[in-house]
Amino acid sequence: MIKRCEDIRDRIGAWMDGELSRSGAEEVRVHLESCPACCEERRQLEKLQASLKAVLVAGPSNVSFERFWSGVEQRINRQRVWHEDFFGWVRDLSTPPQLAWLVPAVIILVLMGMFSLESFFPGSRLAVRRNNFAAVESIDGFGRNVAVLRENETKTTIIWLYQNQEGENESTGEKSDASPSF
Amino acid sequence: MEVSDWDLVQKCQAGETSAFQELVSRYQQKIFMVVLGLLRDREASMDVAQEAFFRAYRKIKGFKGGSSFYTWLYRIAVNMAIDAQRRQKRNPLDFRENMDGVLEEQNEVEKDPFSNAHDKELRAGLIAAINDLTVEHKAVIILRTVEGLPYKDIGEILGCSEGTVMSRLHYARKKLQVKLKAFL
Ligand SMILES: [Zn+2]
Repeated sequence: MIKRCEDIRDRIGAWMDGELSRSGAEEVRVHLESCPACCEERRQLEKLQASLKAVLVAGPSNVSFERFWSGVEQRINRQRVWHEDFFGWVRDLSTPPQLAWLVPAVIILVLMGMFSLESFFPGSRLAVRRNNFAAVESIDGFGRNVAVLRENETKTTIIWLYQNQEGENESTGEKSDASPSF
Repeated sequence: MEVSDWDLVQKCQAGETSAFQELVSRYQQKIFMVVLGLLRDREASMDVAQEAFFRAYRKIKGFKGGSSFYTWLYRIAVNMAIDAQRRQKRNPLDFRENMDGVLEEQNEVEKDPFSNAHDKELRAGLIAAINDLTVEHKAVIILRTVEGLPYKDIGEILGCSEGTVMSRLHYARKKLQVKLKAFL
C-alpha cells in the first residue's frame, strides 16, 4: 500500500495539471477516493498551487505598459542607426586617403611581430637580429612615410609617421636596411 | 475577426513594423510577468522583456512557423531572463529592488489573498522558497503557474521533453511543499 501511495503521490501534481493519460488520471482519481493520506497530499498541493498563483500571477498593479513599445522601438531604431553608422564608416574607410593610414598600421604590426619573433624563435630567419635597426618606408602615393628605429641595448623602438612637406612623388621609397650606429 | 499571430509575423517578415507593434501589445504583459517571476526585479524585468522583443524582431525573418509564435517568443525571453539571473547572482548589488517590494505594492491594491498573519507568513516563506529553487525549477513553476501552459509547450520553450517538464515540476513542488510544510 505504501509503495502504491508513493506512486500515486508522484503523479498528483500532473493529475491536477490535467497532464495524465485518461487511464492514468482515472487510476489517481479512484485511489484518492479511498485514501485519506493521499487526499491530504492533494489538499496540500492545491493550497501550494493557489498560493503560488496569488504570488506570481496577480500582476503588480502599478506597472504601466504605456511606454513599453517605445522602449522596443528605440532599440530597433538604435540598431538601424548603428547599421548606417557602420556602413558609413566602412565606406569612408575604403576611400583612398583614409585607407592610407591602414597601411602604416599593418607595417608597424608586421615589424613589431618580427622584433618579438627573435625572442620566441631565436634562430628564425624572419626574425630581426640582435642589433640596431632603422628603416624608412614610403607607404602610399600621398607622400606619407613610416620610419622605424630600433636600439637593441635599451630595447627602444621608435615608430615615426610623417608626411613629406613638399608632397612630391616618393613612390619608389628608399630602404636603408643597414644597421647604423646611433 | 482578430488577425492571427502568424499573419502578423508574415507582415513583420515583409518589413511592416506596425505588425510587430501589434504582437508586442499582445504579449508584453505576459512576457513581463514571466521575466519578473524569474528575476524578481521590476526594472531589470522591464528591460529584459523589451530586449527580448527586440531580439525577436531581429530574428523574426528566421521564424518559420514550425512552433507557435508565443512559444518561440517565450523561449527567447526565458533564456534571456535565465542569463540575466545568472549575472544577477554574480552581482547581487546591481539588483536591489526585489520581488518583496513588488508584492507589497500589488497586495495593497489587489484583493489581498494573504489577509491574515498566518497567510502573510506563508507568502514570505513562499517567496523565499521560490528564490531558493534552481533556475530550471523556477522556470517550470512560473511557466505553469503564471501562464498555465501545457507541458508540451513548456518543453518547447525550455528545450526539453514533456517527461522532463513533468519531473522538474514534481521536484520543484516537492521542495516548496517541504519548506512550507508548517503553512500548508
Ligand atoms: Zn494513498
